[in-house]
Amino acid sequence: MDKKLMDMPNFRPNKTPVKKTVGEIVYHVIGIVLSLIFVLPILYMLATSTKGEVAYAESIGTINMFLPDFASSAVAFENYKSVLLDYDIWKYALNSFIYAAVVIVLNILINGLAGYAMAKLTFPGKRLLSFMIIFLIVVPVETSIIPLYSIVKVMLGLKQQMTVIGVILPAAISIFNIFLFMQFFQNIPKEYEEAARMDGASTLGVFFKVIMPLSKPILATVAVFCFIGVWNDYLWPAMILPSADDGSWPLLPIQTALITIKSIESITTGEIMASLVITSIPIFVIYVAAQKYIVQGFGTSGLKM
Amino acid sequence: MITSTIIIFILFLLAFGGFVAYDLATAKRRKEVYRVKSSATAYLMLLPSVALAFLFILLPILYSLGYAFTDYYLLEPNKINFTFLDNFKDLFREIAEKGMLYNAIKNTATFVIGVVPLQIMLALLLALFVNRPGFGSKIFKVCFFAPVVISLSITAFLWEQILASGEGGLLNSMLSVFGIPPHDWLRDPKTAMPCIILLSAWQGCGYQMLIFLSGLSNIRNDLYEAASLDGANRWHKFWLVTWPGLRSTFVYILITVFIGACRILTQPMLMTGYMSHTVTLSYYMYNSGYTERLVGESSAVALLMTIFIGGITLIQRRAFREK
Repeated sequence: MDKKLMDMPNFRPNKTPVKKTVGEIVYHVIGIVLSLIFVLPILYMLATSTKGEVAYAESIGTINMFLPDFASSAVAFENYKSVLLDYDIWKYALNSFIYAAVVIVLNILINGLAGYAMAKLTFPGKRLLSFMIIFLIVVPVETSIIPLYSIVKVMLGLKQQMTVIGVILPAAISIFNIFLFMQFFQNIPKEYEEAARMDGASTLGVFFKVIMPLSKPILATVAVFCFIGVWNDYLWPAMILPSADDGSWPLLPIQTALITIKSIESITTGEIMASLVITSIPIFVIYVAAQKYIVQGFGTSGLKM
Repeated sequence: MITSTIIIFILFLLAFGGFVAYDLATAKRRKEVYRVKSSATAYLMLLPSVALAFLFILLPILYSLGYAFTDYYLLEPNKINFTFLDNFKDLFREIAEKGMLYNAIKNTATFVIGVVPLQIMLALLLALFVNRPGFGSKIFKVCFFAPVVISLSITAFLWEQILASGEGGLLNSMLSVFGIPPHDWLRDPKTAMPCIILLSAWQGCGYQMLIFLSGLSNIRNDLYEAASLDGANRWHKFWLVTWPGLRSTFVYILITVFIGACRILTQPMLMTGYMSHTVTLSYYMYNSGYTERLVGESSAVALLMTIFIGGITLIQRRAFREK
């Protein structure tokens, strides 16, 4: 611990132990207060998921909004049970997982290859493409969601099974991720590649066997943000995924399904919050696990605009 | 649509071919050596991303650019007329008459001016706060990032109830303890935008905190040690070592936060709905294109917005470029 402290920039060794302990306590108190402000929505979500309609209505506008209702643990259990069993939340969560997995793999492959070509290879036309990358990062993409919708509709003919491709393919390309990969790969020393070349590896071989294993931080960064993006997206899937003939929505991802359920069925606020708690767990687990890599991923890529 | 797509695709190929030819012709002067095999590999590696980017990013942008000069109405896709600058005339008239678009511009400007410095400052302070060893700071870091991860629909829902009007809102009932009368935070034109600015900064700053943290981890420790030996205090160290060391991180964050702020849409949409004191440019565009289905007009707004954001971003890049 002390060894570590010595390495930190703001460490001042000339402090008395008492002063240091007081400083630590003050630091942690401030930290806890700040943290509470930032986890308010989580507290609210968890607390409301334990309440029935009446208890929830009574808690609005009071500090009880953020406190669970311990008096009725049976209600809490009911909320979670009905969400999981009556509304098939797990089915939509599974959809989201599948979409996210496919998008992550495609996104890393497609944008990673492009980033590598831009960072390490010379070819005519490269200057045009690097200009296009900056240009397309600046242009607001939201402005073109209606033409995008028409293109995807024409392209796929909006057949039930084909629309899944319409959810996945547009999410598989990300100019910003090409930019991140490009910056990260530029900082990988040439020697690694040259050594592999000496052993007779091809360019693709170098990419998969040398560059990819060295790029765990940026892979983790891209994967986490792909996952969060797919998991929280509801507008686009709602636009292009039709409901089946019998009125069910077998292909919907989780957030779109929750909003659809909320607008059609008589679901209580407690049940909605219970479903949101369940659907937030994967994101949190993935984020906490990958957090260390995300900081590295941004750091080593240098980030020059 | 299919024929026009093919035409655009051919034009795109021609333009790219032109640049390739230009690069080849000037290769000698720029002392660049192009090898056939390595170039072929590069094109092969770029093929999937260029194809997808063309279809799903460039093509929609070009279409939207074209629609800006037509009277495209989404329900009558077969009756598109070329109207040249009519959309822009309408838009400028609406601005001159201080209509909804005028409000949208005003609110977006207010939002950008408010949120960019606030969010960057918060992010930097949080990053400095958690940039130390120990278990506590690790937990704090996870907490500060939480609003970024939680879906915006939940946070908007929560803030709506905190800021709700009358005695029902949490903020109002807390203020009533001090004898302050209840206030309709989201419907009062004076407080609505500041509320949205605050909650957006709160919601987004955890992400920039992470980027600042990675910037901080790149600053060499011996610089701090040297400063300590010269008798620098914390304040000096921040301005002489930390701040210059964060320069490129700061420029990156400034540009991305600025672009994000210009595009603000979800917060006012979820919190207040389409109202004159919180409508933003993106929201106006969304409303005219998606709710009123006037794609032509919506695309014209999009074009103006792109020119504006692109222009300011270029100025920012120029101003902060490393010498």
